[in-house]
Amino acid sequence: MITDLKKTPLYDIHVKLGAKMVDFAGFSMPVQYESIIKEHEAVRTNAGVFDVSHMGEFLLEGKDVIDFLQYIMINDLNLLEPSKGQYSCMCYENGTVVDDLVYYEEAPDRFRMIVNAGNIEKDFQWLTEHIGTKNVKITNLSKERCRLAFQGPKSDEYLQSLVDVDLASINRFFFAHCNLSGIPIFLARTGYTGERGFEISFDNIHAKNVWGALINLGASPAGLGARDSLRLEATYSLYGHEINDSITPVEAGLFWLVKPKEGIDYIGKKILIKQKSQGTDRVIVGLNLLDRGILRENFKIFKDGEEIGYITSGGYSPTLKKTIGLGLIKKQFKEEGTQLEIEVRNKSLRGIVVPTPFYRNV
Amino acid sequence: MEYRFPSELKYLQTHEWVRIEGNVASVGITDYAQHQLGDIVYVELPEVNTTLNKGSSVAEIESVKAVGELMMPLTGKIIEINNILADKPELVNSSPYGSGWMIKIEISDKSELNDLLSVEAYKEVVNAEKK
Repeated sequence: MITDLKKTPLYDIHVKLGAKMVDFAGFSMPVQYESIIKEHEAVRTNAGVFDVSHMGEFLLEGKDVIDFLQYIMINDLNLLEPSKGQYSCMCYENGTVVDDLVYYEEAPDRFRMIVNAGNIEKDFQWLTEHIGTKNVKITNLSKERCRLAFQGPKSDEYLQSLVDVDLASINRFFFAHCNLSGIPIFLARTGYTGERGFEISFDNIHAKNVWGALINLGASPAGLGARDSLRLEATYSLYGHEINDSITPVEAGLFWLVKPKEGIDYIGKKILIKQKSQGTDRVIVGLNLLDRGILRENFKIFKDGEEIGYITSGGYSPTLKKTIGLGLIKKQFKEEGTQLEIEVRNKSLRGIVVPTPFYRNV
Repeated sequence: MEYRFPSELKYLQTHEWVRIEGNVASVGITDYAQHQLGDIVYVELPEVNTTLNKGSSVAEIESVKAVGELMMPLTGKIIEINNILADKPELVNSSPYGSGWMIKIEISDKSELNDLLSVEAYKEVVNAEKK
């Protein structure tokens, strides 16, 4: 029974395409159109278009924005420059994660931020309550704008025919404001698939035109199912799985996000710097199965009968054609090649720690 | 979305189909069930010669996104399993009533056949679920 689920501006199009719609973070979203595997393969070999309008988009303006973000974010804004974006986490004082997100520096006093759908209200409140006396104004643009991810090896070639900017001049994590068939868009070379590609954002009223234009180029509609299998292969953390309010970025393998930022205090710094230098008692590792079966979230992991952790994300890898998973386990078992047991419903299957990412082509 | 439900088969509320040939029942999942699961990537079948009661779980069907179970439609002994599914689980998607069959059962109690659904009754189950 679907009650009061929020809809993106492309809801009607998804339904018309015969997508299977599911509740994701309170939005009715397409999990697949025809086949998750076909959509996954389209992104690995051609191009796919994802409706990610459920995600949040904030604009932060004011002369103190950089100072403010330096205090809230664990990554270092000094590594950023205008026209570039940065992936980061904002953490609680104990180092666990409020959200992971990307922000883009449009000007030293204007940043665009993209956050997880399920955390929009929480993030907006967290940011707002930490402004204090700083000169920062936050605007929630989530409902006014449509966001699409356009990903795949052919995304450059396809998109170049529609936009009035030289895509070759935009490096990874850089962005531009440009026009797509005359429609003003924000265009960033970022993504969540492990494949080259772009993420774009524009006013809602153009949603159907832009979607249609990208599909007409030869890209496949791709749903949340493929988005998840692609990001798992690429080993990108998903909030609520690898990171959440009880797991820190260091435990999740995102230790490279934790920056020293000499002379700057930021929320969670003390514990995260300590974890980064001393290590943590538990860490996330990549896993394969030696027996046949599929790893799924929350399956328990054992070593010689002792419970040592659980699967944070698992599934079938269409590219590698086998099951892959990420598990949060005690650190003494993290070495590659370590054999573990994984409880798959009523039986125990043999797993093995493997290097990550499982697959990435960026 | 139109699903295929061959009229010569019997069905279960839990979306299995059953083909009766003498004392043997072949079993798989319906077109509706394979579509609901999506791309099937692994099917764990039982050992041959296992005897199981009607209604017990006999196989696990894993898709990219979900896991489903195959229920025993009738009490009996497993006399054959579709070993091809080990390497080609996608046959359950492409041919749910043909090469995507899963198990063959030697029927213990023919009176249980009366509990299986006709195609008309099963279509009503699907229609009710779709709403």
